[in-house]
Amino acid sequence: MPPKRKAQAAAEGEDMDWDDNESLSEYEDLKDAFTMHTTSKKVHKTDAASFIFRHDNLDQPLKPDAATRPLWVNNDGRIIMESFSPLFDEAQDFLINIAEPVSRVSRMHEYALTAHSLFAAVSVGHSTKEIVDRLERYSKASLSPDVVGFIRKSTGSFGKAKIVLKKTLSYIESDDPEILQRLLRDPVIASCRADNTQGLIQEAAPKIGVMAIPGTKMAAGATQVAAQAEPQAPVDMITALREEDDDDDVAQIHSFQIRSETREEVIKQCQKLGLPLTEEYDFNNDEVNANLDIDLKPHAQIRYYQEKALSKMFSNSRARSGIIVLPCGAGKTLVGITAACGVKKSVLVLCTSAMSVVQWRSEFIKWSNINPDDIACFTAENKAVFHGNAGILITTYAMITQARARSYDSQKAMDFIQGREWGLLIADEVHVVPAKMFKRVTYAVASHSKLGLTATLLREDDKIGDLNFLVGPKLYEANWQELSEQGHIAKVQCAEVWCQMTPEFYTEWLKSSGQVNKKIVLTSLNPRKFQACQYLIEYHEKRGDKIIIFSDNVFALQKYALTLGKAYIYGGTPQNERMRILENFQHNPEVNTIFLSKIGDTSLDLPEATCLIQISSHFGSRRQEAQRLGRILRAKRRNDEGFNAFFYTLVSKDTDEIYYASKRQAFLVDQGYAFKVITRLEGLDQRKDLAFFSPQERRELLMEICLAKDADMETERIDGDAFGMMKAGTKMKNKGARRTAGTLSELSGGQDMAYVEYGRNRNKEIKGKVIKNNFLRKLNSSATNAKKKAAGGG
Amino acid sequence: MVKAVRGTLVKCDASIKAMLVDIDSKNNNDFIIEELDEEHMLVKETKVNALKNRLQQMMKDRLKDPTIDEDSGKE
Repeated sequence: MPPKRKAQAAAEGEDMDWDDNESLSEYEDLKDAFTMHTTSKKVHKTDAASFIFRHDNLDQPLKPDAATRPLWVNNDGRIIMESFSPLFDEAQDFLINIAEPVSRVSRMHEYALTAHSLFAAVSVGHSTKEIVDRLERYSKASLSPDVVGFIRKSTGSFGKAKIVLKKTLSYIESDDPEILQRLLRDPVIASCRADNTQGLIQEAAPKIGVMAIPGTKMAAGATQVAAQAEPQAPVDMITALREEDDDDDVAQIHSFQIRSETREEVIKQCQKLGLPLTEEYDFNNDEVNANLDIDLKPHAQIRYYQEKALSKMFSNSRARSGIIVLPCGAGKTLVGITAACGVKKSVLVLCTSAMSVVQWRSEFIKWSNINPDDIACFTAENKAVFHGNAGILITTYAMITQARARSYDSQKAMDFIQGREWGLLIADEVHVVPAKMFKRVTYAVASHSKLGLTATLLREDDKIGDLNFLVGPKLYEANWQELSEQGHIAKVQCAEVWCQMTPEFYTEWLKSSGQVNKKIVLTSLNPRKFQACQYLIEYHEKRGDKIIIFSDNVFALQKYALTLGKAYIYGGTPQNERMRILENFQHNPEVNTIFLSKIGDTSLDLPEATCLIQISSHFGSRRQEAQRLGRILRAKRRNDEGFNAFFYTLVSKDTDEIYYASKRQAFLVDQGYAFKVITRLEGLDQRKDLAFFSPQERRELLMEICLAKDADMETERIDGDAFGMMKAGTKMKNKGARRTAGTLSELSGGQDMAYVEYGRNRNKEIKGKVIKNNFLRKLNSSATNAKKKAAGGG
Repeated sequence: MVKAVRGTLVKCDASIKAMLVDIDSKNNNDFIIEELDEEHMLVKETKVNALKNRLQQMMKDRLKDPTIDEDSGKE
């Protein structure tokens, strides 16, 4: 019925013009605001769903050919793009340069224009005019003057002043003395100044060259395309709002010194003044620090997204500080190593654990031609330093921020670190580092540039913004879906399985309000969930999958693993037992399933795993969800035809878990993952062989939970895991001496039902295949020796 | 002497039933006449509305997100 549709369209058109006049006056005040996010959250009450979208641009008239243009630019700097548009690829390449990705689901992508992203755009070589023109070209509606104003202002005011490091001292530098005087008039900055002279230091400005990233075609000398370098010209603040950048070069730069410990404060204050400081390191012209002989090995080919990320870091041949976000398993380490090869100065690598120190070292040796003697590891066991003028030092956050008295050796190493300038500081898993700790690192270490690497730039507390000041802005964030389509990471099917609570368990759950731990145990040991888990394990083991099952709660973990007869690892598992279990999981076809507690979230690298099941988790932590998903992203079989990895979350219905599950998924949904909800598993009800089938067994389980002491059910704490310390909504009870009423027989074990070991621990069974008997062992070894001899003789 | 009480059959999820039983036991067994099985029970007809209100209140208190409403079909 075409006429009717027309009438509808007309009605919509009217809606769009609805409160056009109002909007203009309302947006006046935003012009002074530095970031666009502070702008008003205006809601058009045009239809029932409008309130869900805090920002809409219904008041903007569409261009006549709107259908062919891919995006909208909202007044608050949000950009919504249609990913099915023919112009999508082109527009995406452009947007990734000028804006930060917020959400990339299959059909719609969302980006945000921020001051930081625009600044990055300028340094990559986009001019203000180009940004505005291209946005205008892609936009369905014409850009509002506010957005244009914001872009002009942000791009114009950036790069005027920068913070540099010379001989381990910090200086603020600018080519326009006026700007420095303006900064010095600010009381906060003036108080941070280190030298007491009134004048400014003058020097000749260094030249800007072109830099080739190692490992790319450019470096190979195939094509020497000169990247455009935008000279930072002195333009007055007011004129910068209206005019484009001039192209005159200045030969002089001016600077004043600030005290190093006030560095962060100064950076923050300058942001407030609307004159953000750039942190760039011109390593090519740095002759004070010795060069390091390091290059990528010829076989090391970096992937296109790694190249993109690095090109943002090394635009205009200087190293810029910032954070690169790549999914787990997409080669973050190689990015770090390539960056080190680019800078070619001393490099300090910070990682989260001693385990990853070792990994970084071997990766460095694997991918680059560096002399292994030039790599030093500074850990609790190994306090070496390198002996040449330049080298690589790998250490942990804990080592470098340790406040307690140090041993002689480590003090010596620490003095060594503090006493020299570092070209590059690589911070691995940068999101876990508490701001305070990182601050200490930045004071302790004088580094010219900092590179943060992470998979999930997320924290449940809002400390992630601090990283902007401590490390730098987000330089690049990879598109997860794109990478998985190209086979760099595995394709994953995500599902949320809803399990009914059994009435007994639910009654108990209702009763135990206030007992956080007990509630968690009740929901994760819900018999229906247990059966669902058992069902899924059987199903996937038959398919030949290797399964990892995560449970945050150790009590539940042990119960599951013992009942199902599978191996498990938690914080208390001894190191050699862990290694043995993991090895068996990787190579032994008999061991297809392991249970892991929180310790498996990050540090373990298991490329064999293809299926993940989550039975209990850390409240609404989006990071944990993403990190756990990361365990299967690097699946070895990912390039097999039609291969899919599976990620299940088991959720007990009608409990808090539903709420937390939806919170946890937010990040992955933004990355384009879709979660299927499974309300019932086919044939689960008919199965009679599953655990806890009879009401009797279920009651016994419930009894066991009720009898367990609160301390047993507590969430596991892991040393050096910064993430476990954070709480999401609830307070953990502090450990300490407790006084409880009980009987003496309880202490002697007389209260327990029996002494029979019910669930035999599978961990003990998969002890390596060592022949215990002395005689047999001798026989065996003599046989192999004979074989060797025979082989050697022949 | 035989005493007859008018009742309403309530059909719901097992978890909702657990909540209803919980409400009932906290109020001197004022609501439920008979629990039939995991998903069915008989409730005093006069108390149905009061029970509904209390259940609503309880769900609001206990469950974090009220927008995720479970299909608690009541008849």
